[in-house]
Amino acid sequence: MPRLTIDGKPIEVPAGTNIIEAARLLGIEVPHYCYHPGLSIAGQCRLCMVDLDNAPRPTIACNTQAADGMVVMTDTERVRETRRSIMEFHLINHPLDCPVCDQAGECWLQIYYMKHGLYDPRMVDDKVHKPKAVPLGPHVMLDAERCILCSRCVRFCDEITGTGELGIFHRGDHSEIGLFPGADLTNKYSGNVVDICPVGALTDRDFRFQVRVWYLDTARSICQGCARGCNIEVHTSRRRPHHAQGRRVARLKPRYHAEVNRWWICDEGRYGFAFVDDASRLTFPVRREGQAVHELLWDEAIPAVADALRRHQPDEIALLASPKMANEDLWAVRALAERLGTARVAFRVPPAAGGDQDDLLIRADKNPNTRGAELLGLDGDAAAIMADLRAGAIKCLWIFGHDVLHAAWPPAEAFEALTRAQTLIFSGTNASSVSALAHLVLPAAAWVEREGTVTNFEGRVQRFRRALDPLGAALPEHELIGRVLATLGAPVSATRAEHWFRALAAAVPAFAGMTYASIGDTGQMVSP
Amino acid sequence: MTTGPGPTHRTPPTAQAGRAAPATIIFSPEQLAEVRRLQSLYPDKRGALLPVLHMAQDTFGHVSLEAETYVASLFALSPAHVHEVVTFYTLFFQQPKGRHVVAVCHNLSCHLAGAQRIIAHCKETLGIDVGETTADGRITLQAVECLCACEHAPMAQVDDRYELDLTPDKVGRLLAGLA
Repeated sequence: MPRLTIDGKPIEVPAGTNIIEAARLLGIEVPHYCYHPGLSIAGQCRLCMVDLDNAPRPTIACNTQAADGMVVMTDTERVRETRRSIMEFHLINHPLDCPVCDQAGECWLQIYYMKHGLYDPRMVDDKVHKPKAVPLGPHVMLDAERCILCSRCVRFCDEITGTGELGIFHRGDHSEIGLFPGADLTNKYSGNVVDICPVGALTDRDFRFQVRVWYLDTARSICQGCARGCNIEVHTSRRRPHHAQGRRVARLKPRYHAEVNRWWICDEGRYGFAFVDDASRLTFPVRREGQAVHELLWDEAIPAVADALRRHQPDEIALLASPKMANEDLWAVRALAERLGTARVAFRVPPAAGGDQDDLLIRADKNPNTRGAELLGLDGDAAAIMADLRAGAIKCLWIFGHDVLHAAWPPAEAFEALTRAQTLIFSGTNASSVSALAHLVLPAAAWVEREGTVTNFEGRVQRFRRALDPLGAALPEHELIGRVLATLGAPVSATRAEHWFRALAAAVPAFAGMTYASIGDTGQMVSP
Repeated sequence: MTTGPGPTHRTPPTAQAGRAAPATIIFSPEQLAEVRRLQSLYPDKRGALLPVLHMAQDTFGHVSLEAETYVASLFALSPAHVHEVVTFYTLFFQQPKGRHVVAVCHNLSCHLAGAQRIIAHCKETLGIDVGETTADGRITLQAVECLCACEHAPMAQVDDRYELDLTPDKVGRLLAGLA
């Protein structure tokens, strides 16, 4: 392990660590554009120059490995002058259109200019013009004039997705990022090039011009798009609702996790939040009698659900939970099943189409919490429940979110089963063909509107935080189930997700000893 | 940059530059063997990209996008990376070129010695602008940077030949002599 000194501070780092990372461990930032810890070293931007005591010239820190006895200086007058000069080069042909650039506020040209630039521009010639507002694919927009040719996006497509769509074409000050003519940036991870673009050259077609980034609020969360459980940040726009047309979730961004998703997320997960602010959201409880639809208060809906459940014998009631529900909700479902005395509980509804999977992040199981539902003992036979419902043996079914009419099951048989139910209860975030048939519809809070945990396919329990208030009267499922349980006379002390988690951790060996605090921001593996 | 009478790394072309591109972009078995030989010369086989692209240009007349894709497949590279190389170098033609390429130097020495008159004479004689090809496909006109023959400025490179100490008269005769 080499021991070196950076700005007078000694540090020991693992062999192979470069000077940027070694300095980072000491809290010293070496400014850089092209270096990214997830990609190969390009040495292209030349901004990370530092002085070494035994080198005649400043050296790039990204491509210099820490060595024993090395003395690094990141803040000499020569280094500062070098940074100013490199920044001046980077800005020679930059359009300086920050007032209309979507990257403003999170742009490393802006940040480093304020820290390391602040010179009088000496450029008197006309700037070189290049293509602007070029869609590269469904998600990414290119402004070649803003590009500083760091090649991070090119390396991402070469090294991470292996798709190689992007290149740097032409040369000198005519060099520009682009696609092979006729090709599109359609790989399943294309949104990541926007994240790693240090400037405003690559922007997000969905996000751009929606909201200035300094109006965003941030919450740590977990992607719900598949069983991987990628760590994300939810960026919400709450301060200027008059600009957002009801859209509250502005974007999802990956959050680094060394063992789950590193720096990346897939496009399906990144753009999988539209349902949260969609017009189809369920926002108040509903009772349906024939064609008549009555809007209810929770104080009416909860007793109505409890009454309906009381009307049936225990073995006439089935609960179809969902692997999209959080562990806390699933534990509440299990408590409800125990209170009702029914063993007819299941959560697996086979999807109509098989999910894609790859070696990077994407899992074929498009549910965030299948593993949790298995561990919490809800793995019954959903097909048998539907068959018994159709045969009349089950008279009351509570469906949590599933659209069973668009699953792998024959839709006609599923439809017949649902219409046979004397009592069909649906809870979920959005209206569907199932909610349209339900006698009681209960609006559930979306994952960004509440706390909870999910267990990924590897058995890692991870927390997601509340980013927004629930829309309308929607409630987290654990809360609405808890209210039903209380109305049924069960002793329920849990009112928050954390209480439900404490209860399940006390009861299920796989979760033994876990708390929200111990799960923290990196998650915790279930006991084998 | 080619400065001598002819590049030495090219394989014998199977077609003269300027001939219409063959219908299918594909190398002969002999050429493919040559590709493999060239690739074996370098620690990373992509080192052979330049000579193989020249081979493609000599064979197909110019390096079309289709040719780039074909060459990429021979190197297991993405077409975008072959396009990077082709757009970087000025000696690769992405559009069909004329049977002859007249490249007039307009760098410092030639400029001082009257290169602009030479270029103007070429444009007038041929009826095309710099970067264009005559309608009959006979001549492509280029203005290029220094070709290292300043002592004979103004000068031009006509196909693989240097033409030195040019005058409008001399260049007129030259152009007339190109079939």
